[in-house]
Amino acid sequence: MTNLVYLVPLFPLIGFLINGLGWRKIPKAAGGIIGSVAILASFAVSLGIFFEVKSTGASTVVHLFDFIQSGTLYIPFSFQVDALSSLFLLIITGIGFLIHVYSTSYMHEDEGMVKYFAYLNLFVFSMLLLVLGANYLIMFIGWEGVGLCSYLLIGFWFKNRDYTNAAKKAFVMNRIGDLGFLVGMLLILFNYGTLSYQEFFGQLNGGQVQLSANMYNWIAICLFIGAMGKSAQIPLYTWLPDAMAGPTPVSALIHAATMVTAGIYMIARSSALYNLAPAALNLVAIIGLATAILAASIAIRQYDIKKVLAYSTVSQLGFMFLALGVGAYTTAVFHVMTHAFFKALLFLGSGSVIHAMGGEQDIRKMGGLNKHMKITGITFLIGCLAISGIPGFSGFFSKDEILASVYAHSPVMYYMALGAALMTAFYMFRLYFLTFTGSFRGTEEQHHHLHESPAAITIPLIVLAILSVVGGYVGLPPVISEHHTLNTYLGSVLSNFNVHHLEHSTEWILMGLSTGLVIAMIIVARVATKNPKFAENTGLAKVLENKWYVDELYDAVIVRPLGVLADVLDRFAEKMGVDGVVNGTGRLVRWSSDRVRLLQTGQVGFYIFVMVIGIAVIFALRFFGLNY
Amino acid sequence: MKAIIAATVLGVILMFAGLFVKEKKSVASLAVFLLFVLLGVNIWDLVTTAPNETLSFFNNMLRVDRYALWFNTLMTGCTLLYALLVSKEIQRVGSHVAEYFALICFILCGVYMLSTYNNVLILFIGIEILSIPQYILAGSDKRNLKSSEASLKYFLMGAFSTGILLMGITLLYGATGTFNIIQYTFLQSDMLSPMALAGILFLMVAFAFKVSAAPMHMWTPDVYDGAPTPFTAFMATIVKASAFVAFMRLFSVSFGAISSDWMMVLAIITAATLFVGNITAVFQQSVKRMLAYSSIAQAGFMLFAVLAVNATAWQGMMIYAVAYSVATIGMFAVLMKMKDYTYDGFNGLAKKDPMLAAFTTVFLLSLAGIPLTGGFMAKYFVLLAAVEQGKMMWLVIFALFMAAVSAYYYFRVIMAMYFKQGNAELNTEVSATDRFLLAITVLLVIVLGAAPNLILNI
Repeated sequence: MTNLVYLVPLFPLIGFLINGLGWRKIPKAAGGIIGSVAILASFAVSLGIFFEVKSTGASTVVHLFDFIQSGTLYIPFSFQVDALSSLFLLIITGIGFLIHVYSTSYMHEDEGMVKYFAYLNLFVFSMLLLVLGANYLIMFIGWEGVGLCSYLLIGFWFKNRDYTNAAKKAFVMNRIGDLGFLVGMLLILFNYGTLSYQEFFGQLNGGQVQLSANMYNWIAICLFIGAMGKSAQIPLYTWLPDAMAGPTPVSALIHAATMVTAGIYMIARSSALYNLAPAALNLVAIIGLATAILAASIAIRQYDIKKVLAYSTVSQLGFMFLALGVGAYTTAVFHVMTHAFFKALLFLGSGSVIHAMGGEQDIRKMGGLNKHMKITGITFLIGCLAISGIPGFSGFFSKDEILASVYAHSPVMYYMALGAALMTAFYMFRLYFLTFTGSFRGTEEQHHHLHESPAAITIPLIVLAILSVVGGYVGLPPVISEHHTLNTYLGSVLSNFNVHHLEHSTEWILMGLSTGLVIAMIIVARVATKNPKFAENTGLAKVLENKWYVDELYDAVIVRPLGVLADVLDRFAEKMGVDGVVNGTGRLVRWSSDRVRLLQTGQVGFYIFVMVIGIAVIFALRFFGLNY
Repeated sequence: MKAIIAATVLGVILMFAGLFVKEKKSVASLAVFLLFVLLGVNIWDLVTTAPNETLSFFNNMLRVDRYALWFNTLMTGCTLLYALLVSKEIQRVGSHVAEYFALICFILCGVYMLSTYNNVLILFIGIEILSIPQYILAGSDKRNLKSSEASLKYFLMGAFSTGILLMGITLLYGATGTFNIIQYTFLQSDMLSPMALAGILFLMVAFAFKVSAAPMHMWTPDVYDGAPTPFTAFMATIVKASAFVAFMRLFSVSFGAISSDWMMVLAIITAATLFVGNITAVFQQSVKRMLAYSSIAQAGFMLFAVLAVNATAWQGMMIYAVAYSVATIGMFAVLMKMKDYTYDGFNGLAKKDPMLAAFTTVFLLSLAGIPLTGGFMAKYFVLLAAVEQGKMMWLVIFALFMAAVSAYYYFRVIMAMYFKQGNAELNTEVSATDRFLLAITVLLVIVLGAAPNLILNI
């Protein structure tokens, strides 16, 4: 099965090619089926690979062909099949498939539906390449591909200027991060002469090439800058909330199955490097924690249903980085998985709501939707319970594991992270109560239009809701069971670094504390949304509503000065300097051409005269001087 | 060796065929068939010789090695492609079609001698066999005054350069007492007599004339412009390439060890050639005349292979000869379809015949040396050879600038085809066969650019 791994990215690529080349001709329904079947086929192969890896525990590098071979640089195009990548394969193709199915219904009225599926397939293809690559370069190809596809999909409705701006913003922010990744990659190549994971980590562990501790930190920080861009961490997180401009299933894809988890994957993959770079690891933890808190605080005061979810993703990603930063790599991967389930569920649920509301996204105009859309309401509630960390739901297990690891690392960080987790519970249930309970606050027309979505939408919701519940049981906390299925599975690739184990009693206390407080927060949210009044926000609330004015800050500090600089360069360096040189050269060539061509007189006598002069000059040059 | 005999015999057969076969078309078909046979003979020569084997003939006056055999085969292949593409135009030049093809066969005989000579007398004979048919071909359009003028000019100046060649051979013989090019390798820098040096310089000048390097290039624009276009295409490609191989054979094999004695002079010639060819081409109004100057400019690049004196240079010469020949033959084949040879004649061709315009674009991109075409690989290899040799960096940089200039005049044609309004008129209908052959030529250009090893790993 492992040898067939090339099929996994191949199917989406074929789907992309068919839909992409024929998007004007292929009927919409056929386009949706082609796109979905391609991912389903990938999922089937991924399943096979997953179970094979599970039984053998082997890490295999599958060599496909030689990619770059130049001098001592050798970069093969090969895939790394091991526990980590096969788990990601399942998440990407499994959730990706559900999102594809959902899209067949969600997008069926859109003219560009076939093109949309082509992009979606390309997106999945890029992400698979990113995860499967056996060296950083292949990962980088997928990394860039993911960036491109997010640009195409966020700006899918490109006739709306705001949407294209959001797409541009996502692309530029990602490019900033990519530069960090690229520099890190080049540093690795420069110091170790290889980009292959196997050789690089082998050399790291074997210690053939000893670098100063600073160098490890720099490489690790450069890679982390890449992760900041792709996984929306401070300071490069602002693109993700804006990325809501794309169709809702795209948001689900970006937030759950692909793209934003790339940064987590990359750091988990490079754990051997990060173990040698304690300063970088600390930075990861601090950035992750700060992002978790900042994004959660912003989410409290957002009114757009998708914006709330977007900030919650940023915040949850912060948790994952926090876990990575304290060395709990498997825990971060665990949270990636559970988060993929419930975040896909929440986004698809919000899509169902938006669908029913006729495109309305403002939760101030919703309310009482439970009566009209039972399945959406219940599944959404399950998603909220999972993300808030109510015991029994998947989010509880992974988040509890993160919090426990953080506590072992530093109690101060634990309390801050706990605060973020409590805010999560608050804003999620504020969202739930405002949307699904109480009375309807929209227009009469919208009220009539309210309806449950078709099966292509509700079935993925139900599947994801089930996963959101049971998904956590692969990683039971040590107080309940000594056997942690996921850690055992990932054990062949990842091992947690420097993680202390807590006393059972401490763990019980932490668990009880967080559960109790979360339930309290839910009650607070219930009370706060009982009789919603949406007065103009003032003070801190207003700052939160305006996202701490970070966009405005970036605009003033970076975008505008750059614009001014570009303007100056355009006016002086470009118009006068560069254009002058270029046009001047052109004029000089034409001028000399006009002169030189006159030599061609047409007279044989003159020609022979020139030849004789030429011979004389050649002899003179050679006999009286010029020589090597 | 078999090829030399075959080329001569086939040429004689063609001349006799001209007496008996009156139908022009049949003569042309027979000629194409005979060229196929000639290619077969070349391949036979190639496969019956072991890769490392070197054969000697006529008391060591000819020395046949793998490189020469491969070069001959490729050039014969190019000639065949040429004949297929332009046989219709050749039939339109005049009534002596059999003779034209016979002369082409004789020229090929000269090509084979020039790639295998081991004796400067054979070099001399080869050059004359190569040149005299060209004087005739240049004047073959007897009713056209320009054609006759071209022929006469070419002959006069060719005679002058033959004198110089003989002078060089004589001086060299005087200094060394031998005609054998292997024995010239005993010449040494520190005891090089002025007579030997003068001989070498005269030989260089004579070769410079044959490959149209400045300042011995003056005949080229007039002759190429005046000669009937089908024959210009032949002279500018296969003939020029084999003159270059002869140049390289003598200067790399015989005088390679004393390269420091002539390299600087040749470098100046190269620089002058690049300058004159590229700069003058900029102002031309006729595409045919532009191609004449472009052939001078391309000669400037091929001179790098002679200059570099190393293994890469031999590879570079091979790929340059083929890539340049194929693209130029293709370009001339298109040009012959046009009614008007000026740039304006190409205006709006893309709308009228998009396929032809696309083919032309590929040929021009290759001539300009844009990646993914054979022309890029050719320029890459000859410049790489010069860089490896290391003494000529200033010249390499200069050549790159000049390559940028060349983009100007090649792209003017592309601009005319795609961006200018106009009604490009075609001389004749472009038949399906023509399109097929042009498509194959385009394919060759791209294959050479994508997989140059196909002809380098011989």
